[in-house]
Amino acid sequence: MTSADCFSAVERKVEIKPHVPGEVGVWVFILGDMLIFGLFFIVFVYYRGLNVELYSHSQATLNQNYGAINTLFLLASSWFVAMAVDDMRNKTVKLAPVFFPLAMLCGLGFGVVKIIEYREKISAGITITSNDFYMYYYIFTGLHFLHVLIGMGVLVFLWRRARFAATQADVRDGAVIEKDMVLIESGASYWHMVDLLWIVLFPLLYLLK
Amino acid sequence: MNTQAQLFCAWCGVGFLVLFSIGWWFIAGYIPPMSPALSAVEVAGFYQENTGLIRLGMVITMFSAALSAPWVAAIAVQLRRIEGEFPALTYALLVAGAVGVVVLVVPPMVWTTAAFRPERDAELIMLLNDFAWLFFVMTFSPFFIQNLVIGLAVFSDKSESPIFPRWVAYFNIWVAILLIPGGLITFFKTGPFAWDGILAFWLPFAVFFGWFVVMFPLLLKAIKQQAALARVE
Repeated sequence: MTSADCFSAVERKVEIKPHVPGEVGVWVFILGDMLIFGLFFIVFVYYRGLNVELYSHSQATLNQNYGAINTLFLLASSWFVAMAVDDMRNKTVKLAPVFFPLAMLCGLGFGVVKIIEYREKISAGITITSNDFYMYYYIFTGLHFLHVLIGMGVLVFLWRRARFAATQADVRDGAVIEKDMVLIESGASYWHMVDLLWIVLFPLLYLLK
Repeated sequence: MNTQAQLFCAWCGVGFLVLFSIGWWFIAGYIPPMSPALSAVEVAGFYQENTGLIRLGMVITMFSAALSAPWVAAIAVQLRRIEGEFPALTYALLVAGAVGVVVLVVPPMVWTTAAFRPERDAELIMLLNDFAWLFFVMTFSPFFIQNLVIGLAVFSDKSESPIFPRWVAYFNIWVAILLIPGGLITFFKTGPFAWDGILAFWLPFAVFFGWFVVMFPLLLKAIKQQAALARVE
């Protein structure tokens, strides 16, 4: 191998260096969390297999419309977040200060629908101890809801950083500082995970035949 | 520098794990956990058959629990380095850790009370057994706060060479959240969220165990780094 080959090899190596969004630590949390939800889902499918009739019967009482509306809410909010992050990578920060609140509004919509749904179930006498299916239903959606609430806090934080970056845009020619970008991507990655968990949770609880 | 004292405290964490496992797991035989769905007679039978082992195991378990105090103190010293003059999170860790010792000490005392007069009414033995298990598995809150404040403190470390790497913050918050399912055992006698279930017992138990294993080498490293800095100064 000539030295030129070596050089180009090194160069290539630099070129293909993959970009990990956010800081590496956030992925410890995200992958750890998805691992646990993965375990939840395996447990659910296993116990469902032992008593399919009870699970299907209980599943039929869930309102699929609520589940579907909430899926749309989270998908939309993820889209807003993705657009906002993209906007912040660009020179001028214009959309992000609007899109983060829009994403939060979708999150809020999700929460309102969830509470309406819980209220309906509880007033119909269906609680966490009614049967195994509802146990999983309440615990899984409840833990996911907790993630959404944490995510709303994260979005508030992102919104504040975006507004700050927007005020700085003129001063330093729009370049969002590297450190801020890492924080923004970390928060956005977390929000996408919340969305992803729901996208698995929704068919598992509401649709699985 | 009191490096030796700090290392002693850190090693107490290992002592806790080892002695706790010996007493609670290998001698008294509480793992795998008995089902909460057992009848009173079956529960009383466990105490009548293993009376001596439970008594001995609970002495060791009770002693081991207090070893978590120096362990938490060693972590608190490192958090104090991060926080500086007004260490609110460090204080929170110390208080939560102290309560944590109580949570680990009381159940062995209740289990040993059940084994103290195993001939008594089976219903009463079951009452004590229920109380000890619920207290032991369900009381996640001090440990939740303990891990949460460690996470928050590590996040706040803005120095050039942080005392703990930043992923430790995420790891601790992840552990904190994983302890939560233990709080659900009051609702169930069978299934994954009962006190012998995979999600309410095995998962938090494994994570709590793993937390020591991950934190121990990091803690030693932080203490040694502190000692090295002190030598330079």
